[in-house]
Amino acid sequence: MKVVVCVKQTPSTTATFKVNNGTVSWEDAGSGKPNVVNPWDEYAIEEGIRLKENHGASDVVALTLGSADSVESLRTSLAMGCTDAVLVADEALAETDALGTGKALAAAVAKIGDVAIVVCGKQAIDGDSGLTPMMIARKLGWTPLTYVAAINEISGNTITVERLVESGRQVVTAQLPVVISVVKEINEPRYPSFMGIRKANRAEIPTWSAADLGLTAQPSQVSWDSIYTLPVREGEVEMLQGTVEEQAEALVERLFAEKVI
Amino acid sequence: MSDIYVYIESYEGKMVGASQEALGAARGLADEFDVELTAVVLGHNVADVARAAFDLGADNVLGCDDASLADYRAEAYGPLLTTLVRDYSPSVLVAGATTQGRDLSAWVAADVEAGVLADATGLKTADGRVVATRSVYAGKLLCDTSIPAGLQIVTLRNRAFAPAVSTGNTGTAVWLSPAVADDTLTTKVTGFKPKEGGISLTEAKIIVSGGRGVGGPEGFAPVKTLADTLGGALGASRAAVDAGWIPYEHQVGQTGKTVSPDLYIACGISGAIQHQAGMRTAKVIVAINKDGEAPIFKLASYGIVGDLFAVLPALDAAFKKRLG
Repeated sequence: MKVVVCVKQTPSTTATFKVNNGTVSWEDAGSGKPNVVNPWDEYAIEEGIRLKENHGASDVVALTLGSADSVESLRTSLAMGCTDAVLVADEALAETDALGTGKALAAAVAKIGDVAIVVCGKQAIDGDSGLTPMMIARKLGWTPLTYVAAINEISGNTITVERLVESGRQVVTAQLPVVISVVKEINEPRYPSFMGIRKANRAEIPTWSAADLGLTAQPSQVSWDSIYTLPVREGEVEMLQGTVEEQAEALVERLFAEKVI
Repeated sequence: MSDIYVYIESYEGKMVGASQEALGAARGLADEFDVELTAVVLGHNVADVARAAFDLGADNVLGCDDASLADYRAEAYGPLLTTLVRDYSPSVLVAGATTQGRDLSAWVAADVEAGVLADATGLKTADGRVVATRSVYAGKLLCDTSIPAGLQIVTLRNRAFAPAVSTGNTGTAVWLSPAVADDTLTTKVTGFKPKEGGISLTEAKIIVSGGRGVGGPEGFAPVKTLADTLGGALGASRAAVDAGWIPYEHQVGQTGKTVSPDLYIACGISGAIQHQAGMRTAKVIVAINKDGEAPIFKLASYGIVGDLFAVLPALDAAFKKRLG
């Protein structure tokens, strides 16, 4: 039984953005690393590794769709403990949307073969749409289990998970193969080990093209017509002064005036 | 142009807030395009939800009321929605960006190969198409997005749109059969643990949140007291959740929930960029922090520099006095 973990390389969480004539660029002066593994995907990587450690998965394959430099996110996945990695990179897929991404990743999962569980993060912090895990499931024809906070049991072909939804936790059983999206509560991701990093740096990572996956170009159905920075929040902060009681009174006064109470 | 469809979600026989907002926004689109609005009601014992959909402005209600839909399962709900979309070819399908709304929008989009404008915070129209404003790159940029051709699927961020108002309208819903037989479904819901009391963060008008500054699990007591006094929800920063002081479902921020309340009171939260990603769209932000240099004050409308354990009880007393 193989597990595939889908990861995405995204701007780092502390990156600062510029928009110039509709082109987005970013840098991270603080950490010096402008790109990271999508933070939600770290939980997916960890869960994939645990499926090997605790549930007898034979391989944990990290899979990404992206430009050539997305290979960095795969090296991080390998350093954490994934056993293999595959990069899907092709100009024909470069500008695609969640649907095209779902198709490409589903085709790659099929090509990897003998996969029982695909694990994804709940969403990526750049596009923030959270659609891709379901798209992969539909294109594979597998059962989707989204917003998973715990994998309780895998017994034979039956998996039992807890889904975290608005009203509470749903306990669901399903038959493998499945596509899972995970939320942060599911685990605490490990750090890459020293040996892991060395192994990851030496790993040969295959690159698959659209043609390798039997796909043609996947133009985006969604058009990003214009992209812009947030409107500046009006007004400066008003710092309330005086004794604690006076500050409290003053704040209550203002919040009633704002009609938010 | 063909009609606009809106997916209606319910919990324990009542329409959820996100769907009331979706109905309101979809009604606006239908009026602008001069087409009819059809509400899609799926579930079990949902006749009242269908009535509410008419009352809240739907021209038609299409539904399925079946025991196989008693618990939400993508495998049961998704095929029904895909069938409806294939049979009736709506121009736009609107849903709240809840866990169900996100699931089902992607399910239908994959099946009919359509685009999705996910988690919109604003809607307008241009050339007979929907233009959705979305927040991207961890909430640091905004983007106007559209789908130039074919079905337009749009999900709406909770509390970004005004809920539909009662019209007094009534109508007769059309009830359909389930798309798939229960015994062919491989997913079974074997248990449900309802969320412990309190209002859900994404639907709350007021949120009072605690961070590292509360110092420990017991430090959340004055934060919760104020939240209760204001009828609000209790939130937390990642630092407090990671320290094990409060469960994950309270986390606001990049790896937690994205919220848009009218009032957000941040107590002992420094306001890291990851936290801001989850709450910057709040209408009014109040920051209470010992450190006057904390980044949260840059985002706040009102700030109090001080010890939250002194400020919160005073604030609670002042609100109680005012609220009577």
